Amino acid sequence: MSARILVVDDDAAIRSTLAQQLGEQGYGVMLAVDGHDGAKRFDADHPDLVLTDLAMPSADGFALIQHVRASGDTPIVVLSVRGGDADKVRALDLGADDFVVKPFSMPELLARLRAQLRRIGAKPQLDFPDLSIDVERRRVLQGKRELHLTPTEFSILELLARKAGRPVTFDEIIAVVWKGAPGTTNDAVRVHVGALRRKLEPDASNPRYLVTEPWVGYRFIAEPLS
Amino acid sequence: MSWSSDSVKISRVRTALGLIAALALIGLVTLVAVLVGANATTVGFAYLIVVLAISIFSGLTVGLVSSIAATACFNFFFLPPLHTWTIADPANWIALFSFFIASLIASRLVVQARMQAANAEARRNEIEALYALSIDLFAATNRVGALGEAATRALARVGATGGGLILFDGSTNVQRVVAWIGPREDEVEDLAAGVGRHRQPLEFPSAAGSDVYVPLVVGGNVVGVLVARGSGATPRALESVAALVALAVERERFIEESSHLQALRESDALKTSLLRAVSHDLSTPLTAIGLQIERLQRKVGDGERDTVADLAEQTGRLRRRIENLLAMARLEAGNFVPRPEPTPAADLFRQVREHLPLVTNLRVEVAPDAPDVLADPSLALEVLVNLVENAHRASLDGAPIELVAHRHPLDPKRVRLEVLDRGPGIAERPMEGDTGRRGLGLEIARSFAAANGGDVTLANRPGGGAVARVDFPAAMLPAVAET
Repeated sequence: MSARILVVDDDAAIRSTLAQQLGEQGYGVMLAVDGHDGAKRFDADHPDLVLTDLAMPSADGFALIQHVRASGDTPIVVLSVRGGDADKVRALDLGADDFVVKPFSMPELLARLRAQLRRIGAKPQLDFPDLSIDVERRRVLQGKRELHLTPTEFSILELLARKAGRPVTFDEIIAVVWKGAPGTTNDAVRVHVGALRRKLEPDASNPRYLVTEPWVGYRFIAEPLS
Repeated sequence: MSWSSDSVKISRVRTALGLIAALALIGLVTLVAVLVGANATTVGFAYLIVVLAISIFSGLTVGLVSSIAATACFNFFFLPPLHTWTIADPANWIALFSFFIASLIASRLVVQARMQAANAEARRNEIEALYALSIDLFAATNRVGALGEAATRALARVGATGGGLILFDGSTNVQRVVAWIGPREDEVEDLAAGVGRHRQPLEFPSAAGSDVYVPLVVGGNVVGVLVARGSGATPRALESVAALVALAVERERFIEESSHLQALRESDALKTSLLRAVSHDLSTPLTAIGLQIERLQRKVGDGERDTVADLAEQTGRLRRRIENLLAMARLEAGNFVPRPEPTPAADLFRQVREHLPLVTNLRVEVAPDAPDVLADPSLALEVLVNLVENAHRASLDGAPIELVAHRHPLDPKRVRLEVLDRGPGIAERPMEGDTGRRGLGLEIARSFAAANGGDVTLANRPGGGAVARVDFPAAMLPAVAET
């Protein structure tokens, strides 16, 4: 069964374009014109994912995020604009799962939606192009070469890879990898991720697995091989 | 004002009445003593008491006159030889003299006490005037005119017949007469300027009695001059009035300034929300257009492919123009607070690529020892995107553009990002046509770098072309043991 996506945007052109292109990709699409309308459609139709604009005349995206979060963990992807970094971070804090910055491209949006709808679960082996992570034996193979990671680096990689395509916040990394140890700072995370990247990235100048999400955390960008 | 001549009249009447009463009293004592046939000692004491009482109630003049009258009566009626003006016994001279001394001392004491009382009364009046002024001043809010009225009321209360309040606008030469009573001569302006410059009160005799100029000083600044003419008030009272007025003037300025700031803040908030709305309203249709073009690119046949590619390119340019305009507007709105974060150069370079898909010949290189950049990531990205775009415009098709990051060669606390092209170099760059656009991009890069503690320099590159260098602060990450 294909996933059903609720698209909430006050702009008719965006609504129709997204309805058309998501439809072509096989998603079920329902539309709403603002936060109020979106909340009503959400309650009535229980979509698998909510894709919402932030700035809307009546009941903005933030109100909708709170409404959706109050009733469960349905993935929420927000559409923000350049220069709206503060809005983006606020949306994530309220419980949004990801963001796409307008103007975006369709492949970019589809990758984000796939990542949100994907459920990797407790798979023992995570496979990506040229990279496989054996969770049980805690081994990482790049092609045929084994990477020697410290336990901390491995834990960070496992967390990010399980959430491939999705942003993972500093707080989440500290909570999972350091078990929320007091005194663990974002800078400590940065140092370990830096070390991980030096071992993981074949070309340090052109990262292909891990990227920084400004003010948020990191994102593992390689799509898993299914 | 006729207050002082009135008081002179009143005191003359009091003296005359006191004299009549004193002489009547002495006459009465003499009559009673003669009728009763009292001895000289008893009568002497009675006279002494009467003279003392008269001195206390009526002052020095009446006291002296009564002591002479009492002495004459004592001598004439009670000292042998009786009913003559001569004194036989030298001891009686002593009695006579003691009358004089007693009346003199008593009246002096009384006069002193009176003067002190009068001084206390004057000071009480001054304090009352100051109190009333302070109430006036602090009730007179938001209006410089009200300040002037309060100042002139205070001047009238301390007995001034003229004068007023002169404020300086930044300099002692730029004067504003807020309030004035009576005629104002030309030299008032010069005198006020002089007092303002020397910060010392000035007092000199004039037609009105005396003119006093007191500087208004707040926090070391002279904000104006208070002028009191013909005032009987003490210099200290005038200085207190001046101090209060100065405080009120300062308060007026604060109120003016804070309402100005309030207006500025509101206009900043308006700019921010306008920018946000414009940014959203421009980005949304662009997104829709971009998505439709992508779809067309997948669907059209070979014949139309070039047209659609051209459409995509033009749309990309439009998007960059709008982004630059919005970036410039955000910068000019002045409310853009950078939020610096340690950011790896490789991530910035990656984002540059994503923002400029048309710049296909971009090579990146991050030196292994390059520290993370400590800057606002979105501003740092804007800096690089603009510099790469400028380099792209200056380059021939296919000429590579390089994006390089390494530690600053001289300052280990900075990181240097370089954009290198093989275009015509700096001096030879075309000065007309798209210079304006290039200039805007460079200006945005410079402004955004500066907002992050960075700077941009342009130089010619050895072997041809240009290099734009951006120096940012380096992020100092802690060293962590391998775990």
